[in-house]
Amino acid sequence: MNSLLTSAVAGLTAAGAYALLGVCAVFTYRLVAVVNFTGAAIGTAGTFVLITLYDAGFPLWPSVFAGIAGGTIAGVLIGFVMTTWFAESAASTKAAVTVALLVGLIAIGLRLTGGQHPHVMPDLFPGSAFRLAGVEVTIASALTIGLAVLFTLLADWFLNLTRTGLHLRALSERPMAAELLGVRVKLLSIFVWAVTGSFTAFALMIIAPQRSPNFMTLSLLVVPALAAALVGLFRSFWIALAGGIVLGVVEGLVSGFDGVSQYRGAIPFLVILGVLLWSQRGARWDDAR
Amino acid sequence: MSIFKANSVSVNRAELAIVNDVDLQVERGTISVLLGANGAGKTTLLEGLSGVIRIAGGTIELEGQPLQRARPGARARAGLGYVEQGRTVFRELTTEENLRVGLHDSADISEAYALFPELVQRQDVPAGLLSGGEQQMLVIARALLTRPKVLMIDEMSAGLAPVIVGRLMQTMRKLADEGLAILLVEQFAALALDVGDRAYVMRRGRMVYDGDCKTLLDAPDKLHDFYLGSANTEG
Ligand SMILES: Nc1ncnc2c1ncn2[C@@H]1O[C@H](COP(=O)(O)OP(=O)(O)O)[C@@H](O)[C@H]1O
Ligand SMILES: [Mg+2]
Repeated sequence: MNSLLTSAVAGLTAAGAYALLGVCAVFTYRLVAVVNFTGAAIGTAGTFVLITLYDAGFPLWPSVFAGIAGGTIAGVLIGFVMTTWFAESAASTKAAVTVALLVGLIAIGLRLTGGQHPHVMPDLFPGSAFRLAGVEVTIASALTIGLAVLFTLLADWFLNLTRTGLHLRALSERPMAAELLGVRVKLLSIFVWAVTGSFTAFALMIIAPQRSPNFMTLSLLVVPALAAALVGLFRSFWIALAGGIVLGVVEGLVSGFDGVSQYRGAIPFLVILGVLLWSQRGARWDDAR
Repeated sequence: MSIFKANSVSVNRAELAIVNDVDLQVERGTISVLLGANGAGKTTLLEGLSGVIRIAGGTIELEGQPLQRARPGARARAGLGYVEQGRTVFRELTTEENLRVGLHDSADISEAYALFPELVQRQDVPAGLLSGGEQQMLVIARALLTRPKVLMIDEMSAGLAPVIVGRLMQTMRKLADEGLAILLVEQFAALALDVGDRAYVMRRGRMVYDGDCKTLLDAPDKLHDFYLGSANTEG
């Protein structure tokens, strides 16, 4: 029993990262109507700014801030591409474009960071925060989950109570109608990419020490992130948050079982498949009425 | 001098020339009515003027400032208001939130409620739940709160009850009398000509009439011919 709990708790850091990435994916989809496959890669770019500077002997925290700035810039660049050339495209086209950009980013990233050989990733938050039923909960896991909750709360507050948030909600529903009222649609869209870029960069820095920190592995964290977003049907921040946490915990649990632990990477795919089948069933039932 | 001018504007859609070489002027304090049969190219022209579609040729000026290369948002901020056909409310935002989206610093929400008192009791209702008439009032009020100098409205009366149409026409007259320049696209030709000053008629992407409303109103046969195409303006 205790070993089960240990496995579950071990999944919490990943859970927090999945949750935050998932909430960012919902944020991007709801506000700029893009299913963004580059989410984790943008954060990874920022993380590698940190790793490179730290390797070169720069102090840790300035490197962290430079890394967050790097993630923000990467987000802005991708956002610029999407809003300049694909603003009017169909959702499926935009998703396909981000897949292409992901492939490009991974190729460039692997080239610049010296392929798949492992890097030294400084542990930003070593140690444990508290004990849960006798099991150590690391600071890293408490922090990623905290960050995910914070992002969700901030997003809710920002969208509902600020003028810019109102513009974003208008823009997400009818971009052209918003633009015709003088809303600075392009600027706002790029702002959304910047915000998600900085948050995902920080989240990936926290989780990177526990993964093999190479550009490809980290970029592909977008798969569980999109699975979490899908659980929230790309609409609900809170359900995506919960989806990400459950996904991480289940992954932790599964890795505690010898026979199945090597298949734990398939869990997000099962979730995606399950949600899609379930939502299709809903559609068919609606059609039949 | 006209506040708003379009000079030999052409607009394409999917590579096809839909609007050809159209001239149009709108004066401050007047209503210009743009008529034409379904498919004549009225909406396409307005989309070209507002920047929704990039124009294929010609120039657009607002107070002497060239706008043909500006994004729709920049044209809006320069003072060109555009109410699209189909009552494009933000359905998930409340009436009040809709009004606040483009709110100009010098404007106040209460102006919208003064103009359309029926919106007051609907202020906290999602705009998707409003009636057609209320939605049309909302998009007009929303555009007015951006403080436009020129307001273009496409198919203002489509699908609305006659009482409401009459109401909106009177509102247009009042706004023009207060100094606004209005370009109104209408299916109800007689009503629009009655309230308007200058009239334009489009046919197959070309401007075939530019004159005062009175002349057209007094010669219904002529207008009829423009719609059906037997007028000798062909070619
Ligand atoms: N999205 C589109 N793509 C291609 N052709 C279009 C499109 N929308 C309208 N058209 C064509 O352009 C012409 C003018 O349409 P429109 O400007 O909507 O006319 P109106 O507003 O006067 O009824 C019509 O022949 C119509 O078939
Ligand atoms: Mg039309």
